[in-house]
Amino acid sequence: MTDKKYKRVRVTAGNRGWGGPLIIAPEEGKDLIYSVTGGGIHPLAQHIADLTGGTAFDGFKSKAGFDEIAVAVIDCGGTARVGVYPMKGVLTVEIHAIKPSGPLFRFIKETNFVSGVGIEQVELLED
Amino acid sequence: MIKYQATITAIGPYVAEFIDHSILVLFGDQAPEELAEFAILHDGKELKGSLSVGDTVYLGESSYSVLAVGDVANDNLKNLGHVIIRFNGETEPEMPGDVCVQKKPLPEIEPGLEFRIEEG
Repeated sequence: MTDKKYKRVRVTAGNRGWGGPLIIAPEEGKDLIYSVTGGGIHPLAQHIADLTGGTAFDGFKSKAGFDEIAVAVIDCGGTARVGVYPMKGVLTVEIHAIKPSGPLFRFIKETNFVSGVGIEQVELLED
Repeated sequence: MIKYQATITAIGPYVAEFIDHSILVLFGDQAPEELAEFAILHDGKELKGSLSVGDTVYLGESSYSVLAVGDVANDNLKNLGHVIIRFNGETEPEMPGDVCVQKKPLPEIEPGLEFRIEEG
């Protein structure tokens, strides 16, 4: 009966973005909305946390296990963060509209990565 | 004018894979562990002036002219000590986080090596 604690969202690629859509479904023990962005928790991560009931988390301030992360929100714009979280099996939402490239390209799939994401690309799913 | 100055403190176990692609990924030493695996960590703190085309990147004694600066490269460096340097000779950044510099051999990347960006 604890299922109602969390809601799900669908995240789609924005203009010139790539990948997705991803369904973000936090659950007990795996509810972190993991913001790996400059300047604290990104508003997009906070927005996803607010909609889903997940916990916004600053990846540069504290440490969490990958199995606790419902989604990683990044503003990488490049080559490193874009591949690390998909490689670790973590769903990844990239704010910048980029297509995957770089040495970690092989880990990035439409099923674990979506880019060009803003507030408008996050849709609450009613059960 | 020196825009950024740092000393390399640690090299992640997967850095070599990026070096094979002529890419260096730098992060400030507060980076989470999963990023540190792929990164060259350093103790740089402050970006004193925006990085721009025509600046020079130094790795120890080796120098590289900056040919292109992506739209988010300065924010990354300022906020996270993070920069992606591609030693590819390109004048257009492929990704918004990229800094492209001259295509020249890299020195041995090891802790203690100085990383510096100078104007002009």
